[in-house]
Amino acid sequence: MPLVRADRAADPSAEGHGDSGDPHALLEELYAAEASRRRAAARNLAMYPHAAPALCARLVVEPAASVRSVIFTALIGLRSDAAVQGLLPCLRSEDVALRNAAIEALGHMPDVLEPYIRSLLEDDDSDVRIFAVNVLGALAHAQAPRWLEAVLRCDPHVNVCAAAVEGLAELGDQESRSALVDLPGRFPDEPFIAFATKAALARIGTV
Amino acid sequence: MEALLRAADHDVQPALSPEQFARFCDFFYHHTGILFGESKRYFVERRVLDRIRASGSEDFRDYFALIRFDASGRELQSLVNAMTVNETYFFREDYQFAALTSDVLPYLAGLRQRPIRIWSLPCSTGEEPYSIAIAILENWNDADEHAIEIHASDIDSEVLAQARAGIYGQRSLQRLSAQLRARYFTALPGERFRLHEAIRSSIDFGPVNVVDPRSMARYRDMDVVFCRNLLIYFDDLSRRQAVEAIYESLAPGGFVFLGHSESMSRMSSLFQPRKVSDSIVYQKPLDGE
Repeated sequence: MPLVRADRAADPSAEGHGDSGDPHALLEELYAAEASRRRAAARNLAMYPHAAPALCARLVVEPAASVRSVIFTALIGLRSDAAVQGLLPCLRSEDVALRNAAIEALGHMPDVLEPYIRSLLEDDDSDVRIFAVNVLGALAHAQAPRWLEAVLRCDPHVNVCAAAVEGLAELGDQESRSALVDLPGRFPDEPFIAFATKAALARIGTV
Repeated sequence: MEALLRAADHDVQPALSPEQFARFCDFFYHHTGILFGESKRYFVERRVLDRIRASGSEDFRDYFALIRFDASGRELQSLVNAMTVNETYFFREDYQFAALTSDVLPYLAGLRQRPIRIWSLPCSTGEEPYSIAIAILENWNDADEHAIEIHASDIDSEVLAQARAGIYGQRSLQRLSAQLRARYFTALPGERFRLHEAIRSSIDFGPVNVVDPRSMARYRDMDVVFCRNLLIYFDDLSRRQAVEAIYESLAPGGFVFLGHSESMSRMSSLFQPRKVSDSIVYQKPLDGE
């Protein structure tokens, strides 16, 4: 018969996950030649809150997507102020994959991110404000709709407002209606805004 | 009598409005990849109303706010559990076993110079790994030319004991032909059937917790992982950890089969989607370290 049995479950020698128990050694392992060793180091550093800056520093130079993924997962698990501070510069990155992964990771840290939201939404760079709005659109935070409404009322850039409309279509409630209704008046020459707000209002409905 | 009337009133819950139903379905799809249409309205409404009651929410609006903004994700997890049916039987979603024997195993046989390793995760009471074994013996003509290891794991030790025993009722065998029943099972009293020893003893059953790197580290150089209808039960962080753990367990070029309502593309970009026969499978890149 072609089926052969090999007992992994009963093989204690197979156990091992690269955790030396020494965080300094793990930090060095983040720069190992093999991606599997870097992944193991990042996975194990998720247990050490003070490792967030080192993980973020590795993130921006890490070439392997699989290692980046594990670093992001470690940072999401740490969910710390240091993790947020390390991830925010990624919003200015030209590397689209890195930036999108940072947006997703920040979306998992609603409470820790809260103190940084105002400055993000007031950033001089409209692209950064769009990415900040993208984060808010996926943020499990009760104030997220209110922040997006403030964007509709104040942000001068049409693309930032369009991103906020998209976010409110997902998160908005009855309180969001007036900001959405008023927005086309701020951009009368942008028919897309009228269309998008109408769609968002219909989506919000009477829920 | 008044108390009885109040209880009766409480049981008469209003149905969700069309907007509420649509919005709920959008939200649920966004979080799980599971899409409910109008045909499932009764199923969805019953479970949502149950969760509204169980969570102590006032109404749908209150409950919807709870599942959207509760950072712990506990109620969302309870909702997902209520919305999914944890059922298994032999040859469930058998088109995936057809893809395994018609395309995936021949491809891997040309790639590997060692036994081909298949992992059923979670294996529940054993129907899936045994179906894989039977599908290989029945449908892969070159099976005798290769050595194949089948590993099967679950976090629940009770279901593992049942899996090792290999005794099933009619419901588990509903999709098995009379010929296959006769070939692989012995009838027991009480309309139960026991899988033959040769198949049972060929499979390595063992406990594993997908989000525990220590237990997952036992499983390396896998070529195929069946991980069906598991990840939808996890919160986002656990799902990321589980997907990365599965990536770690696979050899370069190995494949993942997910449940029909699951999509790896929604969870991770580490794998390349492949259309194989009638199935979508997810491959670890050949140059993936």
